[in-house]
Amino acid sequence: MEIFLASFGFGLITAAVLAIAAVGFTLQFGVTDVLNLAFGAVMIAAAYVAYWLNQAGLDIWLGLLVASVAGAALSWLLNTVVYAPFQRRHASPIALVIVALGMTLIIEFGLQAIVGGTSVSYTMASGRTVQAGGLQLTVVQLVIMALAIAVMVCIHVLLTYTRLGKAMRATAANRPLARTCGIRSGRVINLTWLISGALCGCAGTVFAMNAGSFNATSADLFLILILAAVFLGGPGRAYGAMLGAIVIGLATEISAAYVTPSYKDVIAFLLLFVMLAWRPTGVLGAS
Amino acid sequence: MADLAPFTGPDAALGPTYLAACYAATQAINNAGGVLGHQLSCKQVDTRGDPADAVPATRQMFASTSNLALVIGVTSDEAASVVPIINANKTVVFAMTGQSEFDHTHFPYFYRLVPPDLEESYAMVVIARDKHYKRVALAFGNDIGSQTFVQPAISAIKNAGLQLVANETLDLSATTFRTEAEKIVSAHPDVIFTEALGSTEATFLSEVQSLNGGKFIPIIGTSATISPAWYKSVAAAVGASNLSQNFLADNLVVETSGPAYTPFKAAMDAIKSKVGNTGNFDTYLTSPGGVHLYDGINLSALGMVASKSTQPAVWKAAMEKIADGTPGATVVHSFAQGVAALKAGKKIRYVGPGGPTSFDSYHDSTGIFQINKYDAKGNVKVIGSITAQQLRSVS
Repeated sequence: MEIFLASFGFGLITAAVLAIAAVGFTLQFGVTDVLNLAFGAVMIAAAYVAYWLNQAGLDIWLGLLVASVAGAALSWLLNTVVYAPFQRRHASPIALVIVALGMTLIIEFGLQAIVGGTSVSYTMASGRTVQAGGLQLTVVQLVIMALAIAVMVCIHVLLTYTRLGKAMRATAANRPLARTCGIRSGRVINLTWLISGALCGCAGTVFAMNAGSFNATSADLFLILILAAVFLGGPGRAYGAMLGAIVIGLATEISAAYVTPSYKDVIAFLLLFVMLAWRPTGVLGAS
Repeated sequence: MADLAPFTGPDAALGPTYLAACYAATQAINNAGGVLGHQLSCKQVDTRGDPADAVPATRQMFASTSNLALVIGVTSDEAASVVPIINANKTVVFAMTGQSEFDHTHFPYFYRLVPPDLEESYAMVVIARDKHYKRVALAFGNDIGSQTFVQPAISAIKNAGLQLVANETLDLSATTFRTEAEKIVSAHPDVIFTEALGSTEATFLSEVQSLNGGKFIPIIGTSATISPAWYKSVAAAVGASNLSQNFLADNLVVETSGPAYTPFKAAMDAIKSKVGNTGNFDTYLTSPGGVHLYDGINLSALGMVASKSTQPAVWKAAMEKIADGTPGATVVHSFAQGVAALKAGKKIRYVGPGGPTSFDSYHDSTGIFQINKYDAKGNVKVIGSITAQQLRSVS
């Protein structure tokens, strides 16, 4: 039971980090129609922005705010300079995926050329470890979980109660129809890149805080987990991404305790395959 | 000189370390007039630490480098796949792999100044036994280079009468290792043997510390942990003070003063600006890649001068004589000293900062081990040595 509780706690923190990233990714994909595989690379670039500020003496929590802004700016720039021109020329979805893969390599290796192959860590105190039964979480991890919950609530409020959120949902559902109804879809898409980019920057920083150490390629495998969470919940579905993050986060860590840590990602993907076989559009995807 | 090693991927810190040795040795050689009128330069060839990437990179290196004199680097990540190619191209390689398959396989152009991994595993067990640790946990990366330590370590732990309480493999592509850390902490080891490069070690050890109530479990690392990049990332994650008090590593004997160290340090200091900010620069002076590849390049260059040839098939025989020494040979400690002695008509033996060389029939020269630690500023300190008898007692 103690092992189960410990791995359940590890799963919760993995799910929290994953949820912030997966919601950002799925919003981006749902509204803009771009499967931005460079999401993980932008996450790490933003994490480095926080690192540089942290090394200059800024508190890491303030660094997280700046990294969110940097993530927003980088993502908007990525769309404006790269994806949007391809979309205007009616590039096929698979062509955009290849472009996104190319951007992943460009950003990652560009970053590595600047920062080198060495791993870095934030200067921060992880706080004491809180133990309850078998649950073991540091204060920082508890704060990250609270932050994830706050982000999910904000996204819920945005999508449910604001004009922008409704416009985002309408654009995601049917862009031409939304435009016909008077929604300025171009503006909505730009704002979506900024919001999802901010989530991307935030996710990158909490990912790096949680990992304790990171380098330019640290998010490679994490991107796969983000994709798993997004597709498990239903691509383009924010609530689906939240659910997917919890399932993937818990599945990876609990399976690591009972099978072997080497196969924890394999087990997460087996779970994804089973779920997709049952509902090919994802748990909360349109039937 | 081609530095064929990982420059990207989880082991990306290795390539630049070897490149520092290359810059230092070649600059010193060029300043002394070069080799038979040739000026040397260094070329980096990225294997990404993956055999699948290393093979085309190696073939491309040979196709695009017409005047390739020597290959250095070649870690365990890619050695098995690229050494046969290098050998087929009749080019000498000074490799950093410790893989035991090279202990008894004859590749005429393969040379190694670092020990087989199994001997390093024995050295780690000797250190643990001497420190009176009883319960040992293993935490090695899932890359080829790290996994080769595991089985010899398990055997040696048993032979030494110690207890193996946990054995966790760390996936270098994973982002957290809490489950592995929890299993190790729950096993209550006295010491953890480890080698996991990239960001893995820093993340793993910080999680062990966190799950152990903030208390640091003593660590014994392989010689690969004597590296500026490893120190920089791990010290930042767990604290330099913790590391200085609880970390030991085995390393092949390297000089830290004396006639060989002085020109080596001068050569390394001269290229300091070429090396990026990868941590405490002085760690290069004791890192296996820094020291032994510097020696390998000097030996090769002196072999070429002595044989008056740049044909590997010709100069490698002269290089072996200069390394192992012949009766009446004058001992030299740098390329410049060697060239001067050769011009004076003397036979020479090169003894560099990595100590005397003695190649066996498989071109391995393992030397003896020392025990290193980091001080609170990240400088490497030698705190003891391990004899061949001690190694044999656990093998």
